[in-house]
Amino acid sequence: MAEGRVTSDHPKTGARTVTLVARGRATRVPVVSCVVLGLVLLCAVAGPWFAPHEASEIALAESMTPPFWRSGGSLDHPLGTDMLGRDILSRIIAGARVSVTVAVYAIALSGGIGAALGISAGYFGGIADAVISRLIDIQMSIPAIPLAMLFAAVLPPGEGMVITIIVLTYWTWYARIVRGEVLSLRERDFITVARVAGVSNPMILIRHLTPNVLNTLLVLATLQFGSVIVFEAGLSFLGLGIQPPQVSWGGMLADGRNFIEVAWWLITMPGIAIMASCLASNLLGDWLRDTFDPKRRIT
Amino acid sequence: MGRRVVAAAALGATCLLSLALAAEDGSAVGEDAHVVVAFAAEPTQIDPTRTSAGVDQYFMALFYEQLLAAGPDLTQRNWLAESWRLFERDGIWLIGVELRRGVRFHNGDELTAHDLRYCYLRQRDPGLSRQAGRWRHVADVRVLGDYELEIVFKGLPDSALLPLNLDLWAIPRRYYEEVGNDGVQAHPIGTGPWKFVSRSVREEIVVERFDDYWDPDSLPGVRRLTIKIIPEDTTRVAAFKTGAVDWIDAVPPAQVADFERTSGVKVVSLPTSNNLFLALNALDPRSPLGDVRVRRAVAHAIDFEAIIRYILHGQGVRTVQVTPGAPGHDPALRPYVFDPDRSRALLRQAGYGRGINVNCYNLTTPREPYLKEVGEAMFAYLTAAGIRCRIVQLEYGAWINLGRRDARPEMDGIASWMWGHGAFGDPTDPWGGHLHSYGDGWGWYSYHDDPELDEMVETLRVTVDPEAKESLIRELARLKHERVAGGVPTYRPLVTLAWRDRLRFVPWPQANWRMMRDIGLAADSPAR
Amino acid sequence: MRAYLIRRLWQGAVAVLGALLIVFVAQRLAGDPVALLLPMDASEEDFAAMREALGLDGPLPVQFVVFLRDVFTGDFGESYQWQAPAMPLLLERLPATLELALAGLVFALLLAVPLGVLSAVYRGRWVDRLAKVLALLGQAMPGFWVGLLLILFLAVRLQWLPAFGREGPLHLVLPAIALGWYPVAAMTRTLRSSMLDILDSDYIRTGRVMGLPERTVIWRYALRNAAVPLATMIGVYFANMLGGAFVIEVVFAWPGVGRAVVDAVFARDFPVVQAGVVLSAVIFVVVNLLVDLSYGLIDPRIRHG
Repeated sequence: MAEGRVTSDHPKTGARTVTLVARGRATRVPVVSCVVLGLVLLCAVAGPWFAPHEASEIALAESMTPPFWRSGGSLDHPLGTDMLGRDILSRIIAGARVSVTVAVYAIALSGGIGAALGISAGYFGGIADAVISRLIDIQMSIPAIPLAMLFAAVLPPGEGMVITIIVLTYWTWYARIVRGEVLSLRERDFITVARVAGVSNPMILIRHLTPNVLNTLLVLATLQFGSVIVFEAGLSFLGLGIQPPQVSWGGMLADGRNFIEVAWWLITMPGIAIMASCLASNLLGDWLRDTFDPKRRIT
Repeated sequence: MGRRVVAAAALGATCLLSLALAAEDGSAVGEDAHVVVAFAAEPTQIDPTRTSAGVDQYFMALFYEQLLAAGPDLTQRNWLAESWRLFERDGIWLIGVELRRGVRFHNGDELTAHDLRYCYLRQRDPGLSRQAGRWRHVADVRVLGDYELEIVFKGLPDSALLPLNLDLWAIPRRYYEEVGNDGVQAHPIGTGPWKFVSRSVREEIVVERFDDYWDPDSLPGVRRLTIKIIPEDTTRVAAFKTGAVDWIDAVPPAQVADFERTSGVKVVSLPTSNNLFLALNALDPRSPLGDVRVRRAVAHAIDFEAIIRYILHGQGVRTVQVTPGAPGHDPALRPYVFDPDRSRALLRQAGYGRGINVNCYNLTTPREPYLKEVGEAMFAYLTAAGIRCRIVQLEYGAWINLGRRDARPEMDGIASWMWGHGAFGDPTDPWGGHLHSYGDGWGWYSYHDDPELDEMVETLRVTVDPEAKESLIRELARLKHERVAGGVPTYRPLVTLAWRDRLRFVPWPQANWRMMRDIGLAADSPAR
Repeated sequence: MRAYLIRRLWQGAVAVLGALLIVFVAQRLAGDPVALLLPMDASEEDFAAMREALGLDGPLPVQFVVFLRDVFTGDFGESYQWQAPAMPLLLERLPATLELALAGLVFALLLAVPLGVLSAVYRGRWVDRLAKVLALLGQAMPGFWVGLLLILFLAVRLQWLPAFGREGPLHLVLPAIALGWYPVAAMTRTLRSSMLDILDSDYIRTGRVMGLPERTVIWRYALRNAAVPLATMIGVYFANMLGGAFVIEVVFAWPGVGRAVVDAVFARDFPVVQAGVVLSAVIFVVVNLLVDLSYGLIDPRIRHG
């Protein structure tokens, strides 16, 4: 196989681009995934400009309108309305904004913290490694959902709390994998050469190690995007996450739950939004992983 | 080969399923029948002397009884009292009560006047009771004999005691002293038609018919009753439809029509005595809500007609202060019309041209149907009119806590609130609790401070003459309405009960129609 | 073996201690732990007494020791919603949660084992593709949403299965599917890849050469060996499912620990919340420990040194 990979001893960057292009031709999956994710991002950034209605605008007389293809439905509310006559499509679009905001902050923070700790543990070893590894063990010994409930009980609810909980849960993921990666990189010739040549530790970390774990981070971040969306939806579904009047997909499902017998669209539409974004991010992440790391060292 | 595995798996699953099916049981018939019903909300207290909210009645009413009671037709009748009279002696008012004889508690003790005096002592102890303030006009409850007692007022009588059925509960003194508060909560004992068997918090309570009940003619027609707590609407409805329970309360408004069309099911919608309102914290005159124009803006901003029609499917009655049919109801008093432009204008006049930001506490209990949705709609209307809500969701327990004085955090904005006006709709006691300013046993859920209204509420409290009382209520209602004091009344929910027609059930108003007194199997001859 | 046991026990203890530390920190995060632990209408005397009981006048490490002492004597405080000690309230509900998690695990295995084996045997064929699609959906559809869909279609529309409560085995079906849904994907994938490795090994080739029927080779020999990596994951899955059960319990009104803890969060009943977190961490650690120790039973080739 001629594809350039991070596992090679020569951390070239040019080869990677070639690989991406070559793979992209081979399959439609990443393209479709990118389109879906692009759409979600577009909703998040520009949603208010093209949403048919304002997400929190209530119209009681139009409450529980079914989607347009059912009798009683109309194109004014393509995906129907909820109990308060709010437009489901507009709320899904508004929910994208919350999901993406939470995901971006959570990924940046947990990725940043996790990577920094993982690189330090892997490169320095010794006490640093022992402490960080133990921290990872402890963190991983508390199931995420109960931990989330603990923090929900002490912190004011909202985006900040959700992000905090996700960062607390996910940093170990990055730290563990990056640590493993660095452990193997450390023994590679180009690092040894740098060390022998007297390059300082910070320099090695920044110039030589970080670029080589970037691929891994990109894969993890892509996969985490879907994961965060599901996690946030779960918290909001329980009522512990995003609070109204802010709109979230999980919160919409929770609202619709009591009307499952009279309005099926309330619990299907937001779920489809969750599923589509998560599916897209997982597929893209898998594809990136296969591309960067055919030996599948990343979980 | 692969096919075999699939077949084996299918076989296994089938076996599991049939096992599970076999486990479904049949139910006993006749006198020994065991009926399972489901309530949406669950009380936190069973002890009538420590109750903090109307929902507590749901279990209390099974075990405990009062001297007087309202019947299914909402008339007051003697209950544990054989007779009673209100009279004046040397300028002091008294209520003389003669007790019914031969009434026994579940543990066999006989009910005497000492038990009722013990109840009084507990009721008026602020360390135990939230309603201690209710007894401010009473000097003592005097025992004249085993079956005779006197409620002695300090001077004028308390007019709120009558609609509260004299507010004394038959609790067993000896048992209370023996087991203490926790013991009572764990195993309540009263004179009611049901005996406590077991309780599993957030799941169910099981009770058994009390065969030594003082009125053998009105014993329940079933031996055992299990009340399941199923807060989720969908769950409760499904439990009813699949036959897991035979009776449910709070049929979701959106499904009432569907229930009415179902054969073999009886459905009844009844007005609850629960009055809902938006509490506004008007204590700080410099805060926006301290300004009456802002409070009026709140009242004009919400389209309650639409809320009742579209969210509640008509399962609500718009109220303006006093319940229709109750003493002092004034049909001339009209609700604030829905007019967001007027709201905005009022805000401008008050100096808040750019609107205000306010915390809005949304009560999300299953206690009444669709409270959460109604709350969200109300707050969305407010926001649209420039009263921008930051919504805080409150579960029942958290709501009770929010209402506690010196609570952290204090209710500092607008909150959806409720206050039962009792079976007879008399506002005297509720107004003492949420209109009269806080302090001295008054206003324990009040966010208003208006000395003039305080004085009127105090006068109302000691006005027993029906005509004088009605005109005072009318005048108070008008001022309360004008000043938007003690909150903006919204509506009175209807509660819809449904039961399978194999049951015979007559709703009694206790516990907001959830009193399981007149219940039995339809096949039986009626109890009376 | 003994050294290994001791090391694992030690790791488990450290993990539980860490969990306790997190709970302790969370208490302090909210500001005044006393305000969290007492009912809102507690009197000043109650406050002073609680302050002293928690050792709040002393330095933080001392407070932590006091906290640990209370925890080890089972004292997590009193639920003020229900006026009863918090931990027993939850322990009462633990069987329901364990039952649900176990049922979820059984469902996941019932689906994952045949799918994993068949997709390895018929690699690239429709079974394999089906497994792949299921795996993708499994990860993208949150369990609580699957639960809602199951309720909508199987309980509300078709009325085949009861949707709510815990009355009998039938009531377990839908929640178990919703809970077991997620791990199916990873289990199938794990089994598939280890099956592929094993089917390719000399061991199996020898079996085939010896003329054993293909069925025996695959389901007896190959699966037995390929199941080891899966078995090592089962503990982790089971423990995770206990956490996941918290959400599924809410969807299906299942009277377990999770629902009680969620209720407690809303009622600001912190003693119950912290008892719930500690309980789930302890179970998580214990389950993983037991699984680690039982590897030897599943595969005699593994020896702990």
